[in-house]
Amino acid sequence: MNWLGAVLILVSTTWIGFELAKKVRERPKQLRQLKVGLQSLEAEIMYGLIPLDEAFLHLSSQLKGPVARFFLEVSNRLDESASSVLEAWEESLAGLSDASAFKKEEIEILRQFGATLGRHDRENQQRQIKLTLSHLERELAEANEAQVKYERMYKSLGILTGLLLIILLF
Amino acid sequence: MGFDVNVVFQIAGLGIIVAMLHSVLKMVGKEDYAHWVTLLGFIVALFIVISLLSDLFQKVKGVFLFQN
Repeated sequence: MNWLGAVLILVSTTWIGFELAKKVRERPKQLRQLKVGLQSLEAEIMYGLIPLDEAFLHLSSQLKGPVARFFLEVSNRLDESASSVLEAWEESLAGLSDASAFKKEEIEILRQFGATLGRHDRENQQRQIKLTLSHLERELAEANEAQVKYERMYKSLGILTGLLLIILLF
Repeated sequence: MGFDVNVVFQIAGLGIIVAMLHSVLKMVGKEDYAHWVTLLGFIVALFIVISLLSDLFQKVKGVFLFQN
């Protein structure tokens, strides 16, 4: 019975460690997806002259993961209920911050970008997208660094904490 | 001699694990946390030792003062 409890503790803390490591690992991937998305949004606005809801629908089919779901959600809200782009963007952003591995900084960058959506002419909109992309580039470099540093730390911390608890309780 | 050898192993294991935690945390540059972990491990080990010592003193009291 003792051994069963020990194994359960070890498995659960190891699992927690791996989940945290996964979050650190997913963040650069999702940031890259987001950058790809914004770049194609720029292309759609500049050259395609496509309305925003259709553009977001295209984006969500090109991407994958939580970022794709985010764009799909914005598109749906624009189609159905929302009174303004800003409102649809903000509401979907709340869902994104739960579903993705993004930190507060990225969500804040996206919120500021959403405030400019659909308010300017094409050139200004392009400038805003470029600005957002450069912000995201900085975050991506930081996220890559954090991944190298913290991924292994979370894994070993999980296992070691489990062993420590087992020894203390034994 | 009802001395329990398991306690010695427990303290030894505690030391090993805490040392590994310390080195992992130090490797990623969280040295302040590393020191806290070491300190906490030291305190826990002291508590284990203190409980053993209190057993010893109870026994000494029982032998020489004829209590219990």
